[in-house]
Amino acid sequence: MPEQEKDKEKEKASAAPTATEQPVAPGQPAPATKVPAAEEEASQYFFGEPLVGFDPSEITGSLIVIEGMDGSGRSTQIALLQEWLESEGFAVQTSGLRRSNLVGRDIDQLLAKNAVTRLTLSLMYATDFFDQVEHRILPALRAGTVVLADRFIFTLIARGVVRGINRDYISGLYAMALRPHLTFWLNVRPETAFAREFKKAQAISYWEAGRDMSLSHDLYWSFIRYQTMIKREFEVMAKRHSFIELDGEASVSAVNKQLRQRIGERLGIRATKYAPSSALQHLWR
Amino acid sequence: MPTSSVENPESSQKAPRPEAAKSTLPQPGRPVPSRAYPGALIVVEGTDGSGKSTQLYLLKRWLEIGGYRLHFTEWNSSPLVKSATRRGKQRRLLTPTTFSLLHAADFADRCERQIMPLLQGDYLVLADRYVYTAFARDAARGCPPRWLRNLYRFAPVPDITFYFRAPLDVAVHRILSGRPKLKYYEAGMDLGLSYDRSESFRLFQARILEEYDKMVDSDNFVVLDGTLPVNKLQKQMRDIVASKIDLKRFAPHAPEVE
Repeated sequence: MPEQEKDKEKEKASAAPTATEQPVAPGQPAPATKVPAAEEEASQYFFGEPLVGFDPSEITGSLIVIEGMDGSGRSTQIALLQEWLESEGFAVQTSGLRRSNLVGRDIDQLLAKNAVTRLTLSLMYATDFFDQVEHRILPALRAGTVVLADRFIFTLIARGVVRGINRDYISGLYAMALRPHLTFWLNVRPETAFAREFKKAQAISYWEAGRDMSLSHDLYWSFIRYQTMIKREFEVMAKRHSFIELDGEASVSAVNKQLRQRIGERLGIRATKYAPSSALQHLWR
Repeated sequence: MPTSSVENPESSQKAPRPEAAKSTLPQPGRPVPSRAYPGALIVVEGTDGSGKSTQLYLLKRWLEIGGYRLHFTEWNSSPLVKSATRRGKQRRLLTPTTFSLLHAADFADRCERQIMPLLQGDYLVLADRYVYTAFARDAARGCPPRWLRNLYRFAPVPDITFYFRAPLDVAVHRILSGRPKLKYYEAGMDLGLSYDRSESFRLFQARILEEYDKMVDSDNFVVLDGTLPVNKLQKQMRDIVASKIDLKRFAPHAPEVE
């Protein structure tokens, strides 16, 4: 590889840590196609590589991601934000894991059967993710819609990494993921999350507790240890990808206020006062 | 005991592979060199109609009749992923990216549950199409080559990769004459190359052929001429296998010493 290109590679790697950096197998990496200008432009929208057939000039909407462990209050906040944004006159589209038409239900079945290995599951989640990007998120962003994503690649990367999947590999998988305009991380202690989740369903699911990882026979400790591992991965990514970290232990209304402020700045909404309608009143505690 | 109708593959001489460390399991997503396990992996690649499946079938028969420990695996055949692939194809939901990812999921499932365990368990594994199919086909669909290489990084590197090369016209004719109707994705209709399915297929196959040709050196393909008579080609294939792989290792019983 000529020196110049090498430097460019390095630059790209530091700008977009998800780009593949290591030699790949089998064989040597195929020669990269030469589209430097397009690549540079694409890096503003993608972590590494552009999606096939992507045209950046079409993007007029905003992609807003809410990340956080089970029980951090993500879905509550998204329901409230959707109502607020709609009342402000913004069209909203939501997305989340396992919601694709292509493989959403297949993943549900794989999880129920517990017959799947970690790598296959990761790749099924990646399929689910990109199907939603291409059929739901991108069309919405082209139409000027605000997309609220309930979790994003960060959860998927963290889950893979704690299961021993090579970090460069799994982030390389998501090189073609769109870069969010804002990424919020609702950070809570695993103990708090456990209590909230238990209260919700009077049970903790197999996967939430990371039971496939044989961390502990004790459900509580399995949950705590698993979510702590995930949290550590998030701490690493939070710096790298400039997450906006919010204290998920705070009240729903306090967290919501902070979210509205940051989103309001991005969308040019000046007054961010909001009180939920009667339909969502029960979430406002 | 091999029957008299087949050549004895044990006649060749080759140093046995050093015993692999059995305790170090590969980490998914890391490249797996062929010396990390005691088994051996033989792969066939080539465009549709290149004759590769026929040849691998005959190779498999030869080894089966000889009583060797082997496992045969086919591209796109994992039951776990099948329903998703079928739905995606029927409803034409697949984009180049999701087409690629679903096939990778299929491969990962076979890799984690069959190919790797069997290679570690000292088996001879025969694969009809391997990661190079994805490299060629998905690159022809426009997926970034670097991304594709990363996607399949967990795949063990084959001991032999046979590339059956047939001229475009020959291969396309073989397929078109034997099939009433090409399927949508098979014909590459999603690329919008032509409204005519046969023409689209031809253009798509030409791109794939070009991608395969690029990999011949970088991925150590053993190139075989797909236009040769079947039995001649099979003879070449068996000779190469016998010379490159220490087949004794996969015999049912160690030869008795008298």
